[in-house]
Amino acid sequence: MKHSLYAGAAMFALMAGSVQAEGELIHAVGEGSFDWEGFQAFADATDLSGESLTIFGPWLAGEGKSFENLVAYFDKATGASSSYVGSDSLEQQILIDAAAGSAPNLTVFPQPGLAANLAKQGYLTPLAEGSADWIKDNFAAGQSWVDLGTFENAEGTDGFYGFFFNVNVKSLVWYIPENFEDFGYEVPQTMEEFKALMDQMVEDGETPLCVGLASGGATGWPATDWVEDLMLRTQPPEVYDQWVSNEMKFDDPKVIAAIEEYGSFTRNDDYVVGNANDTAAIDFRDSPKGLFDSPPACMMHRQASFIPAYFPEGTELGADADFFYFPAYAEKDLGTPVLGAGTLFTVTNPNPASEAFMEFLKTPFAHEIMMAQDGFLTPHLGANPENYSNDTQRGQGEILTNATTFRFDGSDLMPGTVGAGTFWTGMVDYSSGAKDAATVASEIQSSWDAAK
Amino acid sequence: MSDIAGTKPALRWVVHLSVIFLVVLWVIPTLGLLVSSFRTADQISSSGWWRSLFPSEQNLTLRSAEPETQVLENGVYVIEGALFSADEQATISRWGISSRDVDAFEPGETTELRRGGTITVDAVGNYRMENTEEFTGNRGARIFVTAELPPEFTLGNYQKVLLDQSSTDSMAKAFFNTLTVTIPATIIPILVAAFAAYALAWMDFPGRALLIAAVVGLLVVPLQLALIPLLKFHLNIGIGKGYLGVWLAHTGFGMPLAIYLLRNYMAGLPRDLIENARVDGATEFQIFTKLILPLSFPALASFAIFQFLWTWNDLLVAKVFLIDATGQTTVMTNRIVELLGTRGGNWEILATAAFVSIFVPLVVFFAMQKYLVRGLLAGSVK
Repeated sequence: MKHSLYAGAAMFALMAGSVQAEGELIHAVGEGSFDWEGFQAFADATDLSGESLTIFGPWLAGEGKSFENLVAYFDKATGASSSYVGSDSLEQQILIDAAAGSAPNLTVFPQPGLAANLAKQGYLTPLAEGSADWIKDNFAAGQSWVDLGTFENAEGTDGFYGFFFNVNVKSLVWYIPENFEDFGYEVPQTMEEFKALMDQMVEDGETPLCVGLASGGATGWPATDWVEDLMLRTQPPEVYDQWVSNEMKFDDPKVIAAIEEYGSFTRNDDYVVGNANDTAAIDFRDSPKGLFDSPPACMMHRQASFIPAYFPEGTELGADADFFYFPAYAEKDLGTPVLGAGTLFTVTNPNPASEAFMEFLKTPFAHEIMMAQDGFLTPHLGANPENYSNDTQRGQGEILTNATTFRFDGSDLMPGTVGAGTFWTGMVDYSSGAKDAATVASEIQSSWDAAK
Repeated sequence: MSDIAGTKPALRWVVHLSVIFLVVLWVIPTLGLLVSSFRTADQISSSGWWRSLFPSEQNLTLRSAEPETQVLENGVYVIEGALFSADEQATISRWGISSRDVDAFEPGETTELRRGGTITVDAVGNYRMENTEEFTGNRGARIFVTAELPPEFTLGNYQKVLLDQSSTDSMAKAFFNTLTVTIPATIIPILVAAFAAYALAWMDFPGRALLIAAVVGLLVVPLQLALIPLLKFHLNIGIGKGYLGVWLAHTGFGMPLAIYLLRNYMAGLPRDLIENARVDGATEFQIFTKLILPLSFPALASFAIFQFLWTWNDLLVAKVFLIDATGQTTVMTNRIVELLGTRGGNWEILATAAFVSIFVPLVVFFAMQKYLVRGLLAGSVK
């Protein structure tokens, strides 16, 4: 028994080697168009030899690796020894760790709602004085980022806790430029053109949209993004804010209209792949693959900036697949609203290294190193967009910095039982044709009332 | 039993068929997982694993070589190449150059490219593009083919799980950590529970029945209740998060079942044997080590299997009591979850990691399975 264990263990050791790899300096110091002066200035001003820093976040695999590469630069600059651990169940783990008193120094929350809960329970430490003002001045749409990172503490007073880092843009439509070329389609500039294009596709015998809502326990979230995007395209941003804070009831006609607007895209057998009642059964990670089928199963896919991770291997962004901004109605004159989401850094267990790291995140350099790797967008105005690793990312970064209106994913701001509960399930009910928009909206509102 | 099976062949067939049916039913998902572990992510999402075992007709989107590879032959610019590599034995039945009409042409036919020039593709995937003017652009032309392809499998997933050197993808450290958690977490509860079970079975002391009832009662308490208080306790007494903490937690959570199982087994041993030993002047400790332990080996072994499998597959207890933000302590189950990616879509890695992780429990199971069946009955019959 023991022998076979040892034999197995030895075999694994031989096969796997034993390397505890850390992040690496992906660009030698002084190389490339990064803000090395800022990096040097930070390194000179900060000495953390012998200090250690623990960071806990939601990124795994490739994304976790990218972040570890940034941490490697922080260690290089300060002499600290830092470690990052990712988890897919961060929401539950951080609650246990915070309650038991074993929280890491910094925690990266995937959405602000949960950070607000922990702030309310007194587990978060406010960021250094002046951080809020710094964000206001240095981030595009700075005030909205400050508001999103401001929470009530245990005593009921507001404090600035959350520093947004790594943002994604949701108002994107993905397509294959060569397919558009084959059919002679043009990228639509307005929602009117977008709808006309969909009808044109149906006429040509094609299917316009791939829609997939399934995501395990979070099934339905892609539909909430649709509704939020359409809310911003049918109503002024103030109405969106009232909706998200429940000043305006969920069963208000304006909300029902937005849900029905979503239905006009996806509750139509002609517009979506397969049966329109089945979108909730298609995994959101698999749905974009229809774009790449031969012949194409669909022509367009509305999804956030992270979705290229699920494109077939070897897809070259900008050539094999590209995106355009999910357009706004020309006639409504609401500008170019952008829906997004992002992760935020909070201090859960302060030490000198954690304070220094929060300062490090303010340097354009920290953002530029992340931009040079896939899947990172930043509203930091000081970061040089040249450093984005490809044109597609740069284009998304521009959408973010040029948005006339930026609004955060509403379901992340609603109370957990609604935004990560009944809103999702409600949209599944609506998408499968089980309930109509008005019924779904009033059910969600009653769950919100119960949550208060 | 025997005369039922012997005199009624029809019934025997029914029994056999149901057994075969059940076995197949249970094996199919595992088989699917095994096949999937040898396929790429794109293959998994485009077709079912059962279809991958046979040659299949597929619609593929391929691309010719870039225009920069063109050569000038007798005043004509030519790009030539093969769509499939030499070891792929594909047979093309139809092909096309527009997503509008992906099966417009037979192999060998020639058509005009939209950007000028002509193209022809033969049945094994060799293509030739000709143009009187230079080909421009920096991308090759898309060629859609309908082709019969042989089954294709890859070892890439296993390579990624086992051999990849990057920190998030390396399994070796997690493997040893898991062993470090599992072996003590199996041995400690057995040691403690065997003593307790003997005392509860064969030593007379007041309140013994109540103690047994309490242990049985503890079986139904969900361990999730204890997570935060126990972690707080560990932090207060200075154990913190680490191996000692996770051993103690596993010991505690496994103890009620261990005591219950072993006590019932030991209580079933012949009373005469133990009384004889007492008469002969053996101490309780001698009775325990010389008589009870050897006789209880099947029960000990079967509990060891239970406990080993449960700690090997455990994620929750490890996450709470072991894994901290330094990243030095991680276990296989946690590493597998990490491999799935931030949004959890890497099915091919999941399938592969499942088979890698199943390996040790299988060895343990087959090494000790003869005790398992005997042990499963432990305490159920007297």
